[in-house]
Amino acid sequence: MQSRLGWAVLTIVAVLFFVFIYAPLLVIVVTSFNANPVNMLIWDGFTLDWYRGLLGLGERATDVSNRALYIESTDQLLAAVRNSLTVAAATTAISTVVGTATALALARHRFKGRGVYSGGLLLPMMMPDIVLGIGLLIFFVTIGMQLSLLTIIIGHCTFLISYVYLIVQARLAGLDPALEEASADLGASEWTTFRKVLLPQLAPGILGGALLAFVISMDDLVITYFIAGTGSTTLPVYIFGMIRRGVKPEINAIATMIILASILIAALGLWLRSRKTD
Amino acid sequence: MTALLEIRGARRRFATPEGGHIAALDGVDLDVGGNEFVTLLGPSGCGKTTLLRAISGFEQLDGGSVRLDGADLGALPPFRRPLNTVFQSYALFGHMTVARNVGYALEVRGVDRATYEREVGQALEKVGLSGMGARKPSQLSGGQRQRVALARAIVAKPRLLLLDEPLSALDRNLRQQMQLELKDLQHRLGIAFVFVTHDQEEALTMSDRVVLMRAGRIEQQGSPRDIYRRPRSRFVAEFIGETNLFSITVERIEGGLAVGRTAQGLALWLPAAGLRPGQSAVAALRPADFTLEDGDIAGQVSRSVYLGSDLHLFVRPNAGGPEIRVTARDRAGAPEVGTPVSLGYDPAAAHVLEEA
Ligand SMILES: Nc1ncnc2c1ncn2[C@@H]1O[C@H](COP(=O)(O)OP(=O)(O)OP(=O)(O)O)[C@@H](O)[C@H]1O
Ligand SMILES: [Mg+2]
Repeated sequence: MQSRLGWAVLTIVAVLFFVFIYAPLLVIVVTSFNANPVNMLIWDGFTLDWYRGLLGLGERATDVSNRALYIESTDQLLAAVRNSLTVAAATTAISTVVGTATALALARHRFKGRGVYSGGLLLPMMMPDIVLGIGLLIFFVTIGMQLSLLTIIIGHCTFLISYVYLIVQARLAGLDPALEEASADLGASEWTTFRKVLLPQLAPGILGGALLAFVISMDDLVITYFIAGTGSTTLPVYIFGMIRRGVKPEINAIATMIILASILIAALGLWLRSRKTD
Repeated sequence: MTALLEIRGARRRFATPEGGHIAALDGVDLDVGGNEFVTLLGPSGCGKTTLLRAISGFEQLDGGSVRLDGADLGALPPFRRPLNTVFQSYALFGHMTVARNVGYALEVRGVDRATYEREVGQALEKVGLSGMGARKPSQLSGGQRQRVALARAIVAKPRLLLLDEPLSALDRNLRQQMQLELKDLQHRLGIAFVFVTHDQEEALTMSDRVVLMRAGRIEQQGSPRDIYRRPRSRFVAEFIGETNLFSITVERIEGGLAVGRTAQGLALWLPAAGLRPGQSAVAALRPADFTLEDGDIAGQVSRSVYLGSDLHLFVRPNAGGPEIRVTARDRAGAPEVGTPVSLGYDPAAAHVLEEA
């Protein structure tokens, strides 16, 4: 009796929890199909116009000036998506390699200043984004570096390396050190051991770190806002700019597509993980 | 004839967190013959693992040398040393199949496919795991994993196999079975085993030679029988099997026998070799050396413990002093507590320790 009540309460709490975290997303997805161009909270029929407009397929606007606006914003949007993907891909590659290598070095070798080093690695993660953003901006200006995609990539790497390091390091700490010794004992050099034993064992951690780095890099607004040059607007910065000019229905369509992409990435990650473990 | 493995003056110190040093190896000399089964035995922390790791190369020595077949191993990293190890945790590669685990040493050497297949098959067969090659280690029982670790370590045909407490994770029955199998395997392969354990029974069952270590040094080494029957010191006598120790003063020598007396006045007959009247010494008698009748140590049964085929009795001597442990065959049932007995023994079975 008591446990049945407990189950009921638990179910209600669980449902409320999911409503709480998913309701805003649901609102966005629904409104992205709302035909009402002025007030998105009043349902005015189903439409795909906002998606068509974004992708440059829109024939909705009849007057010339309006059409020009659409086409222009479509090009900008696609450029922003391209920038974001470029930054995220480069950042993921760099921070995954460097973060993994750092975790290995810190776990397997004793050297002077090791404690300071591993502590210092976590600092960028805990620093408020706005501080990091301003700091990076001042740094780039001081050394006379033009703001571009490169500065964004460097900026993202400064804190994403820490994320990858942390995840790989956790996986490494759970690994039996005797595995590497067994490999060496059986005649494998350090490099062979790395390739054949360490890397496959760490793969789920490395993959998880890479996915996280990719998602955070795609998503970052605050830091990027400071260090993005005029030609290097990323998707979040672009959306932020659009909102400042007024909330347009297209934003909901963009958001919905981002949600879809995120779900796909997360599903891919889960699938890869489940394939690895047995 | 020189030994396969020669260790001379091996020293290794570790810094303790308290700022001092501990000598994990404090001058160890050890020879292991080409097809000998040598067991390193000793209490926790005496340096067994350190010695084994110095042989495999995972631990550097501060001093001394390790030679295999006359060649100094000192400068060789572990992966170039022609010997293999069975790890206590087995250390199987979870992402590889059993067959690939077993073939790992051949894989990294780059042997051709046909040889690889043949050798892996043979190694699996030797440990009784034919047909399990396609499984993952996680799909095996503890005993089977143990065998995979063994097959993996012998596949490259090393002349020396090191084993660090490989059976400690198995339950008692399986452990006893594996003890016999390991001994048998060593015999068939004709290679040397250096086997670490802190289980004295295991050491006595399996070894050609037992090396008993204490605080970084070798306390005594010899055949299991030798080390059991003729312990050099109180430490050895107490570590290997159960024993009764008597501190005595020699009263007189009569023919080939000496008469010693304990502080409580209990008289014991001992072999006279090397003893002089007035000398103090420690005599050791194993529980199985005693008979319950017709002796001259009068006492009473104070406790009895049933152990299956054997009966373990504690006898309190009437003269006083510590209880004497006696093993008797369980024939007529356990004597009641308080039963008077007169313990006898063959004086030749008594052993006088070299060192008190
Ligand atoms: N890496 C190390 N750093 C510091 N001290 C160590 C290290 N390795 C071993 N020691 C110390 O050296 C001594 C011998 O250790 P060792 O592991 O050889 O003992 P053991 O005989 O194998 O014991 P056990 O039966 O518990 O496995 C111990 O006192 C141990 O604390
Ligand atoms: Mg040990």
